[in-house]
Amino acid sequence: MKPGFRKKIYAGFFSLLLIQGLVLFFWVSHVMKSSLLQEIKNRGISIGTILSARMVEPMLAMDFLRMRVLLDETVQLEQDIFYTFVLDKEGRPLIHTFDRGFPTALKHLNSVSDDHNGSMKLLDTGDKLFYDYALPVAIDTHRLGTLRLGLLRTRAEKAVAKIMVSAVVSIVFTIFIAGIVGTILLNPITKSIKKLHESSEQALRGNLDVKTAPMLGKNCWDIMNCHKNQCPAYKNYHHRCWYMAGTLCPTCVEGEYAKKIDSCRQCQVYRKCSGDEIQSLAESFDAMTLSLKGNLSSLKDAEAVLNEQKARLQTILDAIPDFISLQDDKGRYISVNKAFCDMLNKEKEDIVGKFNDDLFPPGLTRQYNKEDRQLFTSGLPLIKENKIMDEKGISWLHVVKIAVMDGSDKVAGLVCSGRDITQLKAVQEQLTHAQKMESVGRLAAGVAHEINTPLGIILGYAQILLEDVEQEGQIHDDVATIVKQTRICSRIVADLLSFSRSRENIISEFDMNGAIDEVLDVVVHTFGLHHVDIHRSYYPGPLKIRGDKEKLKQVCINLLNNAFDAIEQDGVISIHTDLEATAREITISISDTGHGISRENIVKIFEPFYTTKGPDKGTGLGLSVTFGIIKEHNGSIDVFSPPLSFLETGTHGQGTQFVVTLPTGLD
Amino acid sequence: MKIICLFLFSLLICPGCGDDEPAIKVDLKIKEQVIRPHEPDVITYAYLPQYSHTVSYTRHHLLVSYLRKKTGLNIKQIFPDTFDHHMCMVGENKIDISFSNPFVYVKMARKYGAKAFARSIEASGRENFRGQIICRKDNVAIKNLSHCVQKRWIAVDSTSAAGFLYPLGFFLDHGIEKSDFKEIAFAPGPGGKQEKVILAVYAGKYDIGTIREGALDVVVGKIDLQQIRILAMTAPYPGWVYAARKDLDTSVVEKIQQAFKALDMKNATHERILKAAHFAAVISSTDSNFDSVRELVTKTDINLTQ
Repeated sequence: MKPGFRKKIYAGFFSLLLIQGLVLFFWVSHVMKSSLLQEIKNRGISIGTILSARMVEPMLAMDFLRMRVLLDETVQLEQDIFYTFVLDKEGRPLIHTFDRGFPTALKHLNSVSDDHNGSMKLLDTGDKLFYDYALPVAIDTHRLGTLRLGLLRTRAEKAVAKIMVSAVVSIVFTIFIAGIVGTILLNPITKSIKKLHESSEQALRGNLDVKTAPMLGKNCWDIMNCHKNQCPAYKNYHHRCWYMAGTLCPTCVEGEYAKKIDSCRQCQVYRKCSGDEIQSLAESFDAMTLSLKGNLSSLKDAEAVLNEQKARLQTILDAIPDFISLQDDKGRYISVNKAFCDMLNKEKEDIVGKFNDDLFPPGLTRQYNKEDRQLFTSGLPLIKENKIMDEKGISWLHVVKIAVMDGSDKVAGLVCSGRDITQLKAVQEQLTHAQKMESVGRLAAGVAHEINTPLGIILGYAQILLEDVEQEGQIHDDVATIVKQTRICSRIVADLLSFSRSRENIISEFDMNGAIDEVLDVVVHTFGLHHVDIHRSYYPGPLKIRGDKEKLKQVCINLLNNAFDAIEQDGVISIHTDLEATAREITISISDTGHGISRENIVKIFEPFYTTKGPDKGTGLGLSVTFGIIKEHNGSIDVFSPPLSFLETGTHGQGTQFVVTLPTGLD
Repeated sequence: MKIICLFLFSLLICPGCGDDEPAIKVDLKIKEQVIRPHEPDVITYAYLPQYSHTVSYTRHHLLVSYLRKKTGLNIKQIFPDTFDHHMCMVGENKIDISFSNPFVYVKMARKYGAKAFARSIEASGRENFRGQIICRKDNVAIKNLSHCVQKRWIAVDSTSAAGFLYPLGFFLDHGIEKSDFKEIAFAPGPGGKQEKVILAVYAGKYDIGTIREGALDVVVGKIDLQQIRILAMTAPYPGWVYAARKDLDTSVVEKIQQAFKALDMKNATHERILKAAHFAAVISSTDSNFDSVRELVTKTDINLTQ
């Protein structure tokens, strides 16, 4: 475990003091020692210089007594003067202060030339260290002899030893005092920091109700003599008022800490209650956790709303039948809807975070990657239709890819939406076919118009010729065949012209039941010849309708002819009319007991020229014309095979039922 | 980081860890006795200690060296402490060549048989020299010689010529007896007597002082000479004299005399020697040259044998 803040501070503190003490100890002792030694050296030179000057006169007079007195006085002057002696010009000892003879070794150990003021050497006897000074005794430049002086270093060493002891004592004392002072100063700081640490741990664990700041002797309500219970700072012992928004003090500025703190600094509450940096830190920490708590609550609310919206959005996206995907700037799928998942037959978790390479076969991957790169480069949307061939068959997809731009107009991702347009494609194909058929119809009508006249002439001449030839004979039969076939052609041409021509409607109000009867009167005889009965079941009242009576009669003729052709022999044709309850629509139902229409053919029966009849019986234009007339009257026609009655009762039968619904057009 | 800290710490500490300076081992147990060797055939030369020994040495050591070299004799300058000591040493044959004032000489001639053989010519070029009576410039009580009555007088020595004898004769000539002075003192202690007289007057301890002419130059730089006033000058008398002790070998005297005579100001080396001694030249002399001094002694009732 690493040492705590307090230990570190103490360690640093004492290390610094120790280093400073050691440095001071070594430096000061060295400097003091040097200074003392230099002082002693200078003192030796000074004593020697004075003595050598005083020695001139006795030396000249060869007054050994005076010389001896001078030397003895000098030695007695200081305890650390070890000896003095005088050498003559030739270096012979003249006088000295040694007991029992002059030490021979000293004689030549130190000397000074005429042009020098003195010489100093450190000598060691083994038990004593002393400086030996050699100073010239001279008058001007005339040398009389040499004065030698020995000065013990003992005094300097004692002084240095004293200084070093004093330094050590001072250092120890300083460290001791510093320790006490440091403890006194550090205790509140370390306590506060420890409390801050505990509070921060509590906050990390989710407990934001921490109280780190110390209790104060006087709080804002005491200082301001305030009794406003509604104020958030009132009786709040752990949070300072300048950190709180919405305080009710008249001197307070409204707003958060950042807005009010400048004003609060001028307030007497702040001046009295604000503490040192540590206290401020604790108070701001409490305020911060309080603010954090509020913000976290808001954040949670916002998160809930966001999650709800996200779920809604996902629901909408999943509900959309189109598949939708979102890729990031690297092409990675970051969001997809259910349709996309269904398309790929994968779970959402298996798609999000993947790339095209992970999801599509190699061929599609190359294509999609190329498209994505173009989009990332150009930023232009891509709209296309994809033809998918799989075991289910052929399907078509309409795909739109749009680049999503970020704030700096760079492509941040791609949104892709796709829709299954297989059915639309089928309708488009039908429309195209219908358009083609319309063109053919128009062409056929044009041809019919052109050939109608020559066909009339052919028929006319053929009838004349038929009258002119004998009735019995091959020629008559041949001409009769010409007349017969010409009439078939004329009928085809007439149907074509009817199909193509848009004749002006002649609108009138008439009874539809009556109109049907008129039609039946024409065909009933023919139908009867082939044992085809007609059952009428009319709406009991008049079945009034506004429309083109002839065109609607044509509808009935076409439907009755189709029923007759489907029966061919021995059958029943049922005609039923009805008025809708609101009297706005009438229905005409014509059903037969014929061979019926197959499921494949039932969708084609309204196409022009589609017929299942033989070559001489149908032109394939009857139901097309019928369909056009009913549409002109804003009605509709439904076909059921077998008839609806069989389908509703579940009984077995055959035949076809056409149900025409027409608006009455009456108010 | 740790290495850098240790390096910095060492930098701070190391300057305080310097080794002590090296010491030379010495053995003081082997000792010898100091005995002055005796030098044979030494001719001793002494300058009457009217100045300090240092001044005496400075003025005469070149001359002594010259004489030693010129004569081939082992001449050495010695320094007696007082005038009486000087005279006694002549009488005890400890001084072979004496350079003294005429008063001392006539005493030594009378008492110890010393014999004059040369005398100096002052730097000013005069063969004779005078005494000076000085007082403080600001002493308003002494404006002329008559004002010296009942004043304190310090003289160089009772055997000084220009410092006592000549001024005493000068005072007698002007009617002032020894008893007219409040006090007559002599410069104390050995050597430096001329300077001591000047310093005593300068300090105001004595009202008047008597010195030889030129003595004030010796104290230039030591005191403010502007504060000293020369009250009077005595009559000139013969200058300082070289005398040989009684029974000194005449050949020695002859050699020294010849060496003196050879000194020439025109010679650069000699010029340096003569200027140091404050001489212009040294000329031959005889005892009779100092009869005027003997007359002055008689006039002042001084006993030459004392």
